[in-house]
Amino acid sequence: MVLKVFRWSPGFRERIQRFWVPAKEGMTVLDALVDAQRRLDPTLAFRYACRVGMCGSCGMVINGRERWACRTLLKSLETRIVTVRPLYHFPLIRDLVVDLAPLAEQTARVGATFVPKEEPAAFARVGADAPERRRIDPAIECIGCGLCVSACTMVANDERFPGPAALNRLFTVAADSRDAGHPDRAAVLFSEDTLTRCHSQANCTDVCPMEISPTESILALRRRAVRGLLS
Amino acid sequence: MPQRPRRILRRRWATTEGWRGTRAGMWAWLVQRAAAVALLAVIVLHVRTPYWGGVQALLLALVLLHGLLGVRVILLDFGLPVRWHRLLLVLAVALAAVIFAAVWGWRWS
Repeated sequence: MVLKVFRWSPGFRERIQRFWVPAKEGMTVLDALVDAQRRLDPTLAFRYACRVGMCGSCGMVINGRERWACRTLLKSLETRIVTVRPLYHFPLIRDLVVDLAPLAEQTARVGATFVPKEEPAAFARVGADAPERRRIDPAIECIGCGLCVSACTMVANDERFPGPAALNRLFTVAADSRDAGHPDRAAVLFSEDTLTRCHSQANCTDVCPMEISPTESILALRRRAVRGLLS
Repeated sequence: MPQRPRRILRRRWATTEGWRGTRAGMWAWLVQRAAAVALLAVIVLHVRTPYWGGVQALLLALVLLHGLLGVRVILLDFGLPVRWHRLLLVLAVALAAVIFAAVWGWRWS
């Protein structure tokens, strides 16, 4: 099989480099990249850690779609030519490695951090089957791999749009009854570059390996904002 | 030491690679916007030639497509599960086709 890999280093022009890698049964895109790096070009840079779909550090754009390289079987791509590019909308470091710091920066910017109330109960009980927990639970498993931000077309068009990951995180704290509300949130939420900027294309939802729907979270935040305005 | 400007990749829409992996929700959004732009031109044409059947049919098709895709977005806004978005796209396009065919049979055949 042929791997077509995006190469770039600061000070050099970008290029696509081809690697011929023998495809084996059960081989993933990450396996193919490791093979190319070890046998053909040790300067090829890409990031990975757990190799079993838990850490989310091997997020890349594979054949035009955001995926984890370690969870993408070559066989599943149904082609002998596989194109691998770094995630979009993140600062490039080198080759397939991007800087994921904007994820944390945007999360902080929208005030998506838990703020306890002044008079906390000894134990704030949120039952396993409480409606509040059922609303929040599907959104809390984000591991910050950045695939959703890469897939979001609105992030590309508006630098002030915080992106699906930060807004999903914001939903999980805003919907929590124990949270008092971050002072920065209202201004961010009601700005024209936040909730109204999402056009419900659901690209983020479609690519999330954790099966989170940031679109759902953004729409829920939007409904909360409208209820807040009307009340 | 001066910092280099950050290099951020974006999809290049003028390339096939940029369109590769485009998903249903994105197509729904694009078709609705394209229908809106096309409507502007067709409405002008319709005002100039109000009895021309071809323009009437085109106008109806665009209004149905744009309107029903808009209803799909409103339903998602009001809390229908986002995992239904592909089904809603299929339903919107199918309903538009059925209504168009019914009006075509009644009015222009």
